[in-house]
Order: sequence, then C-alpha cells, then structure tokens
Amino acid sequence: MVLLWLRVAAILYAGASIAIFPAVLHNRERWKSVAVHLGGLAFFFHFVSVVEMLALAHRWVPAGVRETESLLGLVVAGLFFLMWWLYKAMSLGIFALPVTFFIVFVPALGVEKYVFPSYGVRMSWLVAHVVALMAAYAALGFSIVASGMYLLQERRIKSKVKPGSTNGQTSVEWLPPLDTLERIAHATLLFGFPCMTVGLVIGSVLVQETDLGAAYFRDPKILASFIMWASYVLLLFWRSRAGLRGRKAAYLSGAVFLVMLAVWAANQFSQVHRFGAP
Amino acid sequence: MSYTVLGVNHKTAPIELRERIAISRDELPEVTRALAATPGVSECMIVSTCNRVELITATDSSEVDLSAFLCNQFGLDPALLSGHIYQHRDQQAVRHLFRVASSLDSMVVGESQILGQVKEAFATARAAGTVGSELDHLLQSAFSAAKKVRSETEIGSNSVSIASVAVELARKIFGSLQGRTVFLVGAGKMSELAARHLVQQGAGTILVTNRTMERAQRMAEPFNGQVIPFEKLYDYAAEADIIITSTGAPHHIFRREHGQAFLHKRRNRPMFFIDIAVPRDVDPAMNKVEGLFVYDIDDLQQVAAAHIAERKSIAAGAEVLVEGEVERFHQRRRTVNVAPVIVALQRQAEELRQAEIRRIQSRLGSLTAEQAAAVEALTRGLMNKFLHPPMQALKQAARENDAVRLDALCETYSLPNSQAGPEAVAAPAEQSNRTSPDAPAPERQTSVAGRR
Repeated sequence: MVLLWLRVAAILYAGASIAIFPAVLHNRERWKSVAVHLGGLAFFFHFVSVVEMLALAHRWVPAGVRETESLLGLVVAGLFFLMWWLYKAMSLGIFALPVTFFIVFVPALGVEKYVFPSYGVRMSWLVAHVVALMAAYAALGFSIVASGMYLLQERRIKSKVKPGSTNGQTSVEWLPPLDTLERIAHATLLFGFPCMTVGLVIGSVLVQETDLGAAYFRDPKILASFIMWASYVLLLFWRSRAGLRGRKAAYLSGAVFLVMLAVWAANQFSQVHRFGAP
Repeated sequence: MSYTVLGVNHKTAPIELRERIAISRDELPEVTRALAATPGVSECMIVSTCNRVELITATDSSEVDLSAFLCNQFGLDPALLSGHIYQHRDQQAVRHLFRVASSLDSMVVGESQILGQVKEAFATARAAGTVGSELDHLLQSAFSAAKKVRSETEIGSNSVSIASVAVELARKIFGSLQGRTVFLVGAGKMSELAARHLVQQGAGTILVTNRTMERAQRMAEPFNGQVIPFEKLYDYAAEADIIITSTGAPHHIFRREHGQAFLHKRRNRPMFFIDIAVPRDVDPAMNKVEGLFVYDIDDLQQVAAAHIAERKSIAAGAEVLVEGEVERFHQRRRTVNVAPVIVALQRQAEELRQAEIRRIQSRLGSLTAEQAAAVEALTRGLMNKFLHPPMQALKQAARENDAVRLDALCETYSLPNSQAGPEAVAAPAEQSNRTSPDAPAPERQTSVAGRR
C-alpha cells in the first residue's frame, strides 16, 4: 500500500506541476485552484505513504535512498504549502511542485529499481528522452536568435536609421517588428520548457535502472541539465510575472543559452553521460 | 478611333489655376456627360484630383477641341490656359495614362492614392454612361500596368508622408496595430492625420486630451474617441501604446521619469511617442529608456525625405515596365482591330462552302444523316485549313502595323479595306463577334488573337 499511495501522490504531483505554470505565469484563477487541490491531495497521499512506510518499519528514520527521497519530497511539498498558507506565495509552486515530483518519481517506481521489460522498450524511452531534449534545445536556440534580432531591431529604431543611409544598418531592414520578435522568443521558450521537463523525467527513469543510482545526479552533465531547467523556469517566471521583456529578457535568454552550451560541453567531462554511451 | 488626353497638373499649372478647374465629386458625372456631348467625342472620363484635372477621351476625329470645352465649362480665358495645358494623342496618351495610374507622374512618386482616384473616375464615367469598349480596354490595361509596377518594383513599399512614416514606425514596433490604443495630446492637423492613418491600420481606442475641452471633443468625434481632461493626462498616458503629442507648451510635458513610470504601470510593454510639437513636448532623453521610442518632427521628415530619394531611383525601372505595357497594349489593339477583316474572310469562305454544298446536293442524292455530317465535317475542315495561313498573315501584319501588306491581303481575298492601323476605328467587340450560326467560331479565334 505504501507504494500505491506514493504512486497516486506522484501522479497528482505531476498534475499539480502542470497546472501551476498557467496559474503563476498567466495568473489564471482556475488553474490556481486546480494546482492547489491536486497538490493538496498529492501531499495527503504522500503523507499517508510516508507514515505507513515508517510505521510498518517501526522506526522514525528512513532507510535507503528511496525512502529518503520520498521523505525529502514530503518536506519540500510541506514547506511550499506552509509558505502558500502564510504568505499566499503561490509563485514558489513553479519550483516546489515540479521538484517534489522529480524527487518522488523514482521511489514511486518501486522499492527495487525499475527494470525495462525489454531492450526495445528501453530504446524507445531513450529515443523519447533524446528527442524531447533536442526539441528543447532547438526551441531555446530559436528564442536566442529572436532575442538577438530584437536587440538589432530595437537599436535600429532607437538610432533612427534613415532608409538608404550607408551606415551598414540598412541591410537588416527585413527584420520583423519588435512585438513579433518578442512573441517568438517567448513562445519558443514556452514550447521548449515542457520538452525539457519531459526529457529530464525520462532521463531519470533511464538512470535509475543503472548501477549508479543516485550517484548519477552528482555528475557535472546531469547537474548542469538541472541547473538549465531551473534557469528556464526562472526565465519564464521573470518574463511572465515581472514583465521582463525586450533587452533584459534577451540578455537573460543569452545567459540560459550559455548554460545550455555548458550542458553540451559537460558531456566532455561526464563519466556517466556521453553521446553514444547513455 | 484615337485616344486623347488633355489636362493640367501640379507640374504645369499653379494651384490657383488648378483649383479653378477642379471638379467636385458631385459635379463630376454631369461634367463628364457634358464632355461626352462634345462633337467628335465617342467616349470620355475625367480625372480630377488636387494635383491634376485630365480629360481622357476616345474620339473619332482629330479635330476635337478639348481645351475649348474646358474654357467653356469653367468660363476661362483661353489665354489663361495656354502654357499650362498639355495634350497627348494615341500612343503618347496611352503612355501618359499608364504613367499616371502607376503613380510615376505624381508629386510623390509611388503614392498609392492616384490609382484609386483613377478607378473612381472611371467608375463615375461608367455610371454616367460615357464609357464604351475603347476606354474600357484602355483603362483595364492601365490598371493592370499599375498593378504590375506596384508588384514588380518597390515603388510603393516606402511611405513618404509624415503620417504614413509614423504608421510605418509604429508597425516596426508593434507589428499589427490592431487594437492598439492611441493618445492624441493637443490638437493639430498633422496629429489628427497621423491618428487617422493609425485608425485605418486597425488602431482600436483613441484617447484625446487638450487644454480646451471643446477642441478635444471636436477632435475625438470623427474617431469615436474618448475625451480625457488635460489634468488627467499622466493617469491615462500609460494606457496608450502610441502617443501623438502636439501641444503649444513651452517646455517638455513628457520627461524621463514620466516615461519610466508609464513603463512600470504597463509592465514594460513598449510605448511610441510621436512628437509633432515645436518646441518639443517629449524630452529626447526618453528615447534612451528601454521600451520607449521617441520620434520628433525632424526625425519623421528625414525618414520621409529618404524614402522620396529612394523612390526616384526605383521609378527608372518602373518607367521601363510602363513602356513595355504601352507597347503590349498597342500590339493587342492592332490585333483586335483586324478582327472585322478576319470575320469577313470567314463569312466569305462559309458562304462559298454553303453554295458549293447546295450545288453538289443533286449529284449526291439522298444522304443518310451520318453521310451528311461527314460531308459537312470534310468541307468545314478543308475550309479552316485553307483559311489558317491568310488569317495568321492578317494578324501578323496588324501586329507589325504593316498597312501595305494588310491592303495586299485584303485585295487578294476581295475583303473590305481594313484600315487596321493604330488610328483605325476598332470594330466593337459585339459587332466583330457577330457571325452566322453556321460560321466556324470566329469568336474564339479573334479572342485568341486579342489575347496575344
């Protein structure tokens, strides 16, 4: 039953993690309600699971990595709900709920590590992992290109370049309007974020099957990937909540892009994640 | 039938003369009908804009005095018109009309209004019943030439008026202007014009403020705008995407700190300030703030001037295009003019065929329906094959304006003299296409010729 309640909690955390983004980024009341209710239910089942787990074992300390992960997830979710209750800080949810889901996800797979039924199934998961992350990288690439074009166009308009003038800036008269570039940069980020999240979740499923287990997450490549995911969330959060746009948003996108390059570069130093040797 | 264009324009006549002969929209149908009643004028239309008044006619004699009509109509002394008037005939007239429609003869080369004005004049003349196939053919060709010039050159791609430059810049910032809010601060002709341009491009809400409430209300009326008390200017400014300001204030009414406060309220959504006032209403330092774009009257004028210079170089390419279209028009016209001759040739051959069938009927005896159809098909086929070379020769001679060859062909086949040169009277389409029901589809053949 411990595992059953934990799995129910994991599913509910996943739903709450999805709902929290429109709730926070677009200030949608209905989504806020969905996120809180799903998250609350998830926390309840998670709490039941943890209590049952510890009561069954007749001890008050978790044993093993999976139990520890489950307990850590419960603490993170509990803290978030406490903040929300005290300060109405719903925006923290875009970090807390997905992180809780990530932490709970692997223990919810089973007491023992999950083993794929066949090589074909494992390869399918691997392909999905690669495709999702490539889509996220491509979207981020488009976002940075649109941001760069935004900076160029903004400079042109502000410097009041005359048509036909020979200062080299006339060659970029084809640039789209600022508003269009801003929307492209934002839309590509919105598209890339779920791709990256899904890619990382699938990666977590793949890695728990290896002998490395939790040690895998200490690898520079894997750490950099999660840092990139967090940067992505920050970027989306600032864009939507703080009205960050234009030049500052372009620079921030550039920073996230640099993190992405670092993730790629980390493949050279990674002991556990290499292209062709997942 | 020949074309004649007579008129005055911004290059040949001063404004004082142009406004004396300008024809209002309400008077235009009546004046057009009066022109059509002039002896020798078969078809006509009049283009009357602030920059030109032109009488465009199809006449059946070269003796028509259009300047006399102009003098009589407006009670002008002919001496007053001399030196200011121009008259073009035939190919020159066609070229002139094509250039006018393509906006190559406009004060601002490439402006798009003239094509609409010519179309409107044509529609008025059509409604007045003064347009027939000749002018219809000419004007349709002029419209397609203008369309070609606009689509194949960049002559119309750059706006030139201050108002349209403002719209163009707003588009560079906001993309679509659909639903954008425009705030008019102070009342001025130019800011009103800019606002009108923005509304035409889809701008949604118009806010108007002025120190004088009455003036603000007057200005807001045509846009269904909302009047804002002047003391609430800063409260509402943040709602506007575009602010057009033209007050008589001796100092800046929008300063950097205002701009930053607006941006904060708008969560950094950009704002565009169009400052038409002299002295300026907007502190130029505001342009340094990210998200604020400030253009004053000098900036707008410089962009407009640069566009005009660009257009002059593009116009050279457009002139070549128009020349090609004029030539094509004349070629088509000459080909169409030979249509009556071709119809006569076909009719003559058909009569011969029918006569021969009647003559041989007694020797053939009674034929079954299939046999009669076979004889019919055989004779018709032979006739068409024999007619093909002379018909091609006639069309070729017409295209090359070779009157000698045309006459020789007409003489060879005992046809009426075609006079199919450019000065020839073209047979109306409906007449040229009228043939006996038994004739071998001359309509199809002439229309093919006409399309070449």
